[in-house]
Amino acid sequence: MKKSKLLQSLNGRGAIEAISLCGAIIIWEIVADFIIRNPIKLPSPYAIFLSYLKLWEIIPVDICTSLLHFGIGLGAGAAVGVVVGMLMGWFRAADRVFDPVVEILRPIPPLAWVPFAILWGGLSHYAAGFIVFIGAFFPILINTYTGFREVDKTYIDAAKVLGCKEERKLIKSVAFPFSLPYIATGIRIGMGVGWMCVVAAEMFGVSKNGLGFRLFQVFWPLHMMDKLVAYMIILGLVALLLDRLFRHFVEDRLLKWKKGMVK
Amino acid sequence: MNHKLEIRNLSKTFSTEEGEMMALENISLEVKPAEFLCIIGPSGCGKTTLLRMVAGLDHPSSGEIILDGKEVKGPSPDRGMVFQEFSLFPWRTVLKNVEFGLEIKKVGNKARREIAERYIELVGLRGFENCYPYELSGGMKQRVAIARALATEPSILLMDEPFGSVDAQTRNILQEELLRIWKRTKKTILFVTHSVDEAVYLSDRVVVMSVRPGCLVKCLDVNIPRPRKRTSMEANEFREKLLMLLSLERSKACISV
Repeated sequence: MKKSKLLQSLNGRGAIEAISLCGAIIIWEIVADFIIRNPIKLPSPYAIFLSYLKLWEIIPVDICTSLLHFGIGLGAGAAVGVVVGMLMGWFRAADRVFDPVVEILRPIPPLAWVPFAILWGGLSHYAAGFIVFIGAFFPILINTYTGFREVDKTYIDAAKVLGCKEERKLIKSVAFPFSLPYIATGIRIGMGVGWMCVVAAEMFGVSKNGLGFRLFQVFWPLHMMDKLVAYMIILGLVALLLDRLFRHFVEDRLLKWKKGMVK
Repeated sequence: MNHKLEIRNLSKTFSTEEGEMMALENISLEVKPAEFLCIIGPSGCGKTTLLRMVAGLDHPSSGEIILDGKEVKGPSPDRGMVFQEFSLFPWRTVLKNVEFGLEIKKVGNKARREIAERYIELVGLRGFENCYPYELSGGMKQRVAIARALATEPSILLMDEPFGSVDAQTRNILQEELLRIWKRTKKTILFVTHSVDEAVYLSDRVVVMSVRPGCLVKCLDVNIPRPRKRTSMEANEFREKLLMLLSLERSKACISV
């Protein structure tokens, strides 16, 4: 009886989650300190914590650099992806024109573009952004395309009898708002792929700064494994934060009319 | 003479994989101003196609449709339409849905809002202006659809089985509401239905259509004084007559198949 009450009071306040997280860290610390006992093979949480203190000056710079690469790529990917996806989804002719090119380029892994990114952009932010662009563009394109394809014909008819007849107006007033949830999904997937691309592009040395660059070009050759793990954790946390922010602003605000349909 | 809507020798053929299919054959029909006309017929008789052509969403293969003396060429807000399926834009609130046609017409913000609110009031949905369609019941959705269709002040209201997907009790209420709105706005209404009860309760005149290729079998004046009682003798007699006509049409279909 007492026990279940305790559990109940812990419930709903994130207590169980917090205990789980702390437990994992403690186990990790014990394993690192007493079983592995090799800070290269498995740095301990405490060592990682200390490395954060040592790195506090450089971490914000690297995060900002990576976010810059990410922003350039995602922004361009969303702009081009939404426009091309819209044209392909709405106009049959555009679909036929773009489809073969898209289908051939799409399966090429973004990292295969690294040599050209360096060749065309040098070791610049744009070169790294380009890799992100390749990664984010296709999911955004495909999802936008699907959205425009699936616009309910009844909505189009309803708009037409209300006087909305020109293609441009139909796209703006019906097809685009209808497709927004699809576009949002595309951008969310694109963000995930894009973040992987940022790190990978920086690892390959496409840029001279950034989280991935520091991790792979600096910490790894010097076997600073505690700092390396510290950066791994940052990479995960930034991606998590980006996704949460996106969901908060887009899904909870912009798409609140979708509630009840999907949730 | 003075017709609101005139349909002359209208035919429609669709091309399918098995060749040309005649959906409607030589339909002529006149509708008087402020008349409530129901079109009834077996399913697949092309009554929806007829209505869509009046709306301008489909084009006749031959013949013409004349509204207020002008030939119908394409869709336009002078013909309001309420669809069978729920057609409210789910990303817009009730108010924004009703305002849609006015937005396209470029009516100013303030006037738009006033007009929209007036029609929302008319269909009895005051207080629901800021709801999204997913928050409404089926019957409420169709009320909004009616308000949306009326907001652009069309000269005729086209209704394609608008109460087909709501439950029977809501349907009765909506029918009464529609009659009230009809009386208030004095609109000409062209109403497609497959329900005999609905046609008898609502209309001034019922047009019975045949099975494909759809043509007009009969026009019947519903001379039952309003307000009507669903269970009155006259209503029952009229229902009987309509049901007979329809079953005759259906049996023809069996023979021809």
